Amino acid sequence: MARGADGGDGARVWQHVFLLPEYLKDASKKMKSGLVFVKLANPCSGEGTIYLFNMCLPQLFEIKVFKEKNHSWFINESVQSGGLLHFATPMDPLFLLLHYLIKADKEGKFQPLDQVVMDDMFPDCILLLKLPELEKLLRHVTEEKEVDKKKYYKYSKEKTLKWLEKKVNQTMAALKANKVNVSARVQSTAFFSGGQVSSDKDEDYVRYAHGLISDYIPKQLSDDLSKHLKLPEPPASVRNPPSKKAKLSDEPVMAKEDYTKFNSKDFKTVKKNSKMTAAQKALAKVDKSGMKSIDSFFGAKHVKKK
Amino acid sequence: MENSYEETIDKRRVHLRPDTLRDPAPASLHLLPCEVPVNRPTPVGRFFTPAIRLGPDGLEASFRGRSLRGEEVVVPPGFVGYVMTEEKAEVLAKQDDHERQEQELVEPPEALERDCDRFMGATASFSSFTVWGLESIPGPDAKLRGALSWPSLAAAIHAQVPED
Repeated sequence: MARGADGGDGARVWQHVFLLPEYLKDASKKMKSGLVFVKLANPCSGEGTIYLFNMCLPQLFEIKVFKEKNHSWFINESVQSGGLLHFATPMDPLFLLLHYLIKADKEGKFQPLDQVVMDDMFPDCILLLKLPELEKLLRHVTEEKEVDKKKYYKYSKEKTLKWLEKKVNQTMAALKANKVNVSARVQSTAFFSGGQVSSDKDEDYVRYAHGLISDYIPKQLSDDLSKHLKLPEPPASVRNPPSKKAKLSDEPVMAKEDYTKFNSKDFKTVKKNSKMTAAQKALAKVDKSGMKSIDSFFGAKHVKKK
Repeated sequence: MENSYEETIDKRRVHLRPDTLRDPAPASLHLLPCEVPVNRPTPVGRFFTPAIRLGPDGLEASFRGRSLRGEEVVVPPGFVGYVMTEEKAEVLAKQDDHERQEQELVEPPEALERDCDRFMGATASFSSFTVWGLESIPGPDAKLRGALSWPSLAAAIHAQVPED
């Protein structure tokens, strides 16, 4: 079944493979337009990052990309290089607002929101002001004053840490529900002893969840949160997130042109369907404390803007 | 807001046409364990799909003489898979067009980043796809499986927390 090409060489157009929340499909019945990819400041790195914004609700989605070496798609009767898989998942806008609140806090005074959320680099940030229940959101991270029916806000570190702690607890619950293995040590031993029940400590969960949340907040705040959660200092070997270290060997097991080089080592020790990739072996070696960055879910760092 | 201001902002946006999400035709997708460095029509239905067999441990096929093992992967619950393509702006200069094509063949465009206003639409949808591994089915700790568990974790990270 050939794809309806849009125009002469339409099939040469880049095809993006996306997973979108189902309700966007239903919501689209009432929409003429209003789904827009915009560039906003990433709350962790400050760099421009693509988000999807639904103007009608309004609602914010983050875009994550699964990207691993050596993949391509067959899409109907066409081939698409790269093998990327994009996820659009709902995002808590407070992380993005926090970025601006912290920046504005250097002036140390109460300010109206439209003076806080301003950005020459990423003017689309004003879209954040359209979001519903903004006042309720801001209560988690700011002190507010009301003068002449106008609200003024000031960043509160204390409140923010409390809010982040709740986020960590929420994330921990999901990690447990999803049976995400938060301890690399368990991963490698389970691999040899036939998948025993893991004995993950709560501390491992806290650290793992803290690592996930840290991808949405500035480094300084992440360090403060770690103190707030009373996480012990990680050993020096894992100061750098493991996902970065593992990158060097982030190549899946692949046959080379020369078949004799086909990972004979792996074949001897591996049971069917439980092969560890080189990357995971590297991860199991360096990562003894389970702090994870979200990137570990997606196989590669995000593509950076030139 | 003033129109002119809106327009300058729009310059940096890629619009996704909601009407294309309603019911695009279903597509069959295969994620291959190798890089094919081109984007173009290719006779998948003539060479690849007819050779797929159901073996003792999942699907079997071959590509470029290598044997592949695969299985059907379902899109995470609450999500729909879409294939999206950019709609060509009608007033693109020829040269620009040519440059872009060359770039597209070399590397993926940086996830949807463009510096002028653009439109995208869904051309097809899918609820599952086939993931292929070389010689064996990608195991439970394959990166892809981690990624597919992301939506449920993201939901927890970004859910509103109760107020005190």
